[in-house]
Amino acid sequence: MAAGTASAPALDQRRRPPAKTPFFARRRTRDLTLIWLFLLPSLVIFALYRIIPLGWNVLLSLEFWSPYKPARFAGLYHYQEMLFYDDAFWKVFWNTIIFMASAPVGIALALGVALLVNTRVPGRGVYRTIVFMSYPVMTVAVGIIWQWLYNEKVGLINYALISLGVINRGIPFLQDFDLALPAVILASIWQVIGFYMIILLTGLQSIPPNLYEAASIDGASAAQSFWRITLPLIRPSLFLCFVVGIINSFTAFDLIFVMTGGGPGHATDLLVTYIYSSAFKLSKFDYAAAMTVANFLLFLGLAFVANRLAGGEAGAIKRGA
Amino acid sequence: MVKRQHWPIHLALGIISALMLVPFYWVLKTSLTGENIFVYPPAILPQDPNPFYFVDVWYAIPFLRYLINSVIVSVIVVVANVFFNAMAGYALTRDFPGKAATIMLFLSCMMIPFQVTIIPAYLITAKLGLLNSYFGMALPLMSTIVCIFVFKAAFEAIPKSLVEAARIDGVPDWMIVFRIIMPLTKPAIATNIILAFIWSWNSFLWPLVVVRDVDMQTLPLGLSRFLSVVEDTTGALYAFCVMVLVPGLVIFLLAQKEFITGLTSGATKG
Repeated sequence: MAAGTASAPALDQRRRPPAKTPFFARRRTRDLTLIWLFLLPSLVIFALYRIIPLGWNVLLSLEFWSPYKPARFAGLYHYQEMLFYDDAFWKVFWNTIIFMASAPVGIALALGVALLVNTRVPGRGVYRTIVFMSYPVMTVAVGIIWQWLYNEKVGLINYALISLGVINRGIPFLQDFDLALPAVILASIWQVIGFYMIILLTGLQSIPPNLYEAASIDGASAAQSFWRITLPLIRPSLFLCFVVGIINSFTAFDLIFVMTGGGPGHATDLLVTYIYSSAFKLSKFDYAAAMTVANFLLFLGLAFVANRLAGGEAGAIKRGA
Repeated sequence: MVKRQHWPIHLALGIISALMLVPFYWVLKTSLTGENIFVYPPAILPQDPNPFYFVDVWYAIPFLRYLINSVIVSVIVVVANVFFNAMAGYALTRDFPGKAATIMLFLSCMMIPFQVTIIPAYLITAKLGLLNSYFGMALPLMSTIVCIFVFKAAFEAIPKSLVEAARIDGVPDWMIVFRIIMPLTKPAIATNIILAFIWSWNSFLWPLVVVRDVDMQTLPLGLSRFLSVVEDTTGALYAFCVMVLVPGLVIFLLAQKEFITGLTSGATKG
């Protein structure tokens, strides 16, 4: 009613005697009820599937809990197990860090593409569509396509590498302890690069062109205007991409589940896949909850840092639901 | 200003586009020809393409069943999203005590990736008795914060005088929303539909957790299950893959603008 309060009371006084004010008050309560009714479905959904789970997770991580036994207080037992006795946890933790740290590689590539698409070449819309097209595709299908490309005997990638003379025998990328994670990361970058590009394009298009004109009149080279104008001005977009990259380590679940199932060993397990298998395959819900808390804290910490570096309002983006 | 040469840019973008398209091409080729792992080198061009694997997969799996399940869940999600997000977005354009707190709450919910809520979310859904149901699969996706803010922005762009005039005429609030405001926010609705659809269509982890019954599986579940059942050299797998990819891609290409607008407005406005 912010805008309404300016004009509505005046109208009320002109039309009705002051005795009518109780009606107005009643109308206000009715308005408020309606506003909360309108908010209710969304609030219920977010309460059920975001807020309560967050608290419950913490609670669960402090308990001995299984579906058929009453809960017992466990204190920090699960955290101790996680930090000191579970080697797999640390392996998976570092995998997650490596996965997140690969985001800048994808972002740099995407920046190159975005700069090319941002030039005034005819047909740039088509290129943009093609580069972006892999993003909305079902990730499960992406996983199946890429594990096929990586196939040891008939995979296109091995064939290309052999033809180029880089290797002389097919490599089983996804079964190799050292190469499986980079292979999965490459597939993930392929899928998300279009999204980075779109974010960066929005940033590039918000730079006023007269800045470049002024720079070129002052005799700045293309490289100089890139480092001095473009990069500083798209900083918010860059860090937004970084946050997307961090979130990507959660959404990569689909990809990893299909391509490697976390294997060989734990070579491609990320926290999110390890949590899934601990909870839903081994029924260690309580232990998985403790790892979830760790995963969430890691995410929040990195998002916070990225947000600070970007200078404020940039951290809010989410892919998927 | 000197006109820059276009061809180096076209060349670079052409190579990039090719790299982005090759995986699609490769899976399409395999779906049409199958793959004989004893033949080396693999053929680059499809040799003797035929629809055999598409027919094969049609009879090998309950494709229609998966498709119907996926469609039902997506329809529930999309309809719920449009209504709930529009309602919440409208409420946020009004003034009420607790508005700032509500917006803060929504923004902080945005920072909770769904994946970190998966265990309690599963337990809650089990308590609600919604495991193995369409509604259970759809429920967590039924309202999206990004889209609430897309609606809020769209509503704020509508002249206040129009709403005030209707209110003074005594038009009830629900009618104001559905008869006056919604028709004026078609782009926001389109964005909402396309985002909600693609997210629910592609959603995998949640159905994987909630669904136990083969009859209730959606397309991504069916696809990953089929992969674990058959050899990965079977053409049928890639035929299935193509059949799953096509609807999503077609819808994306038709509504590309709305999709990108939705994503970037969510990304930049937060």
